[in-house]
Amino acid sequence: MSDQHPALSLRGLAKRFDTKVAVAGVDLDVPTGSFYGLLGPNGAGKTTTLSMAVGLLRPDAGQARVLGYDVWADPVRAKGLLGVMPDGVRLFDRLSGAELLAYHGLLRGMDPAVVDQRAAELLDVLALTDAGRTLVVDYSAGMKKKIGLACALLHGPRLLVLDEPFEAVDPVSAALIRDILHRYVVGGGTVVFSSHVMEVVERLCSHVAILAQGRITRVGTLDQVRGDRSLEEVFVEVVGGRTATGEELSWLSR
Amino acid sequence: MAVPVTTPDRPARRVGARHFVRLKLRVMGNNFRGQGWRIALFLVGALFGLWIAAGGFFALAAPGLADEPRFALLTAAFGGGLLVLGWLLLPLVFFGVDETLDPARFALLPLPRRTLVVGLFAAALVSVPLLAALVAVTGLVVTAGALGGWPAALVSVVGIVGGLLLCVAAARAVTSAFATMLRSRRVRDLAAVLLAVLAALLGPLQIAVLAAVRRADWDRLTGAARVVGWTPFGAPWTAGVEVAEGHPWAAVVKLLITVAAVGALLFWWSRTLESAMVGAASAGPSRQRRGPVGGPVAQLFPGAVGWARRDRFGALVARECRYWWRDARRRANLITIAVVGVFVPVMVNLGGSRLAVDGEQAFGDATANSSPVLVSLSMLFVGVLASVTLANQFGFDGSAYAANVVAGVPGRLELRARMTAFSLYVVPMLGAVAVILAVLLGRPGWLGVMAGGLAAAYGCGLAVNSFVAVLGGYALPETSNPFAMNSGAGMAKGLLTLLSMVASALAATPAVVAAALLGNAWLWLALPVGLAYGLGAALLGSYLAGDVLDRRQPELLSTVTPRR
Repeated sequence: MSDQHPALSLRGLAKRFDTKVAVAGVDLDVPTGSFYGLLGPNGAGKTTTLSMAVGLLRPDAGQARVLGYDVWADPVRAKGLLGVMPDGVRLFDRLSGAELLAYHGLLRGMDPAVVDQRAAELLDVLALTDAGRTLVVDYSAGMKKKIGLACALLHGPRLLVLDEPFEAVDPVSAALIRDILHRYVVGGGTVVFSSHVMEVVERLCSHVAILAQGRITRVGTLDQVRGDRSLEEVFVEVVGGRTATGEELSWLSR
Repeated sequence: MAVPVTTPDRPARRVGARHFVRLKLRVMGNNFRGQGWRIALFLVGALFGLWIAAGGFFALAAPGLADEPRFALLTAAFGGGLLVLGWLLLPLVFFGVDETLDPARFALLPLPRRTLVVGLFAAALVSVPLLAALVAVTGLVVTAGALGGWPAALVSVVGIVGGLLLCVAAARAVTSAFATMLRSRRVRDLAAVLLAVLAALLGPLQIAVLAAVRRADWDRLTGAARVVGWTPFGAPWTAGVEVAEGHPWAAVVKLLITVAAVGALLFWWSRTLESAMVGAASAGPSRQRRGPVGGPVAQLFPGAVGWARRDRFGALVARECRYWWRDARRRANLITIAVVGVFVPVMVNLGGSRLAVDGEQAFGDATANSSPVLVSLSMLFVGVLASVTLANQFGFDGSAYAANVVAGVPGRLELRARMTAFSLYVVPMLGAVAVILAVLLGRPGWLGVMAGGLAAAYGCGLAVNSFVAVLGGYALPETSNPFAMNSGAGMAKGLLTLLSMVASALAATPAVVAAALLGNAWLWLALPVGLAYGLGAALLGSYLAGDVLDRRQPELLSTVTPRR
């Protein structure tokens, strides 16, 4: 029955920190089975929006529904369908990779045998088996992203929400993550992720939304949004960046 | 034009201590911006500090005001010495040091170490407790002035300034050194032992003081004060008295001792500061871990949690258990409990009986000193102290707590699991405290009273601190210094801790009242009743506080997430 609902539906989400409006009313429908990219410059409100969508940050106004279940009114059902990889949030990093996965699996109420089997498989695919009992705190940035993704995938969520999954990741790991996400979407899952790397978004996404200053300014399928131009051109135009004239910062080239 | 970019510019202006001081004031100010309750707590704390400071002032000024020169040296040496000792030990044991200016933040700036140390030292001087201490020790100037006129007062002013500098330098140097040791995996056990020895020194000191006071042997006390006065602990405070007594040369030597001590401490601090700046990178090679044993789930559960079912509760307990050992900050807290919990009650209760053994006629009834009531009281203190470690249990996790929020862990389950994991470490320690005390006092019959009192106090503490943790959680700084507190609002946190300790103690008072009223019957009833009382309180606390946690999980997450 939940297939009639969009995988993620946001209505009028808003958040204000003290005097600064971080998100000023975001409406977004993420169709089931889509690969959705949320684009925006630094400080546009991407992380705030996604945090409110998954139940990490209470919105001042608005609603977030996951496959029809309200994240704030019915959190148990909604969170059961969700896999989340927040950005700028620590993992329980004084566990080893395997311990962390076991923790996440059991926390989701999974059967221990299933946890063991899936965790071993995920560690293997993500090339983290060699890390052995190294604590996650001693992992490199790319390895941390990969173990974070594994934690989000472990319980087989229907919707995956990833904040900056490709930030600080080397090309080899990025290719691996892309591959896994691609397979996940082909298998019927839905992915929403935020990024400011245009080429990744262009290569992966079926749908794109551009967020600037807390509002959605462009939304639609990838082709609708970029038209006959490159995504980067559209992005810079929407966001309103400035280009260097060569006059300023002259002291840099003595 | 073709000057290489790497040519160092000569800095236009020198960086001095005042830059650090201004930076600290700015950070403290920004910390209060828009946080009404923080300002309120700060004011309450400041008033509290002022009240204590006024008390100290009159105590230290009393010999001068009453014109009693023979007490001047005593109050100066012992009062000042206690101040230095307190400044040295309290940050280690209870409060931590204020790291508003974290040395690690300055690692990339091209500052000479000397500038950095002097600057950080100057910034550390800007603090409310130091201001309170300044008010208190001004009493010494009054005394010196009343007894020796202007010259003595002037020397005394120089002395107290030097003494306060000594306090701050000692606190910084010692916490920094211990932090470095606790970080390093090789010598952290040594550091724990050292900490234990430091705390153990409190015991003999207390016995000596008690013995001396009870004899009212002023000559012997004055002799001790003279000795203390020549150590860095007493030198700065007694310089003024020396002038008043007509030994100006002694005053000069004492001031020199102070200067030398401050210099040595700053030098020591600057040595450990370097490793604090590069942080965990220099923590030495990590111990080689054995290869994986069993599947991921088997790896998560340590041996002590083997009994737990492999479900949500079990996973939470297992993770918390691993964290209490692996997280340096939490481990430092456990060590503190072990040290203070074992040594203080032993010394308090033993102090009386050993005096009796020494054949003090006047105090032949000193065994009354350790009655079931006194024992229950000291157990109350230990139980409350152990549980107050959980007052900011979510702050230890920081933003990692997001994982539990995303997984939608029920609040009651979360709190029960945290209590269980902490108890796996603490309950054996508390049991050891009761047994050791019973053996040392030669009163095995009191074991039930001790264990019962401990259980009641610890259980009530768990309940109260669940509420405190859920409602008053705060972010800890992300440094590797386990003694670091968060910027600025240290006073507020100290008050919160104090409040939770008072509340826990009140909740557990029935155990002490019962010990006083029920007499011998309590010797048998204490254990079962105390256990039931403590367990009931803990369960009720997790039940009620869990409900609150369910409603404010996201808010709690944002308060424990460090601001960047």
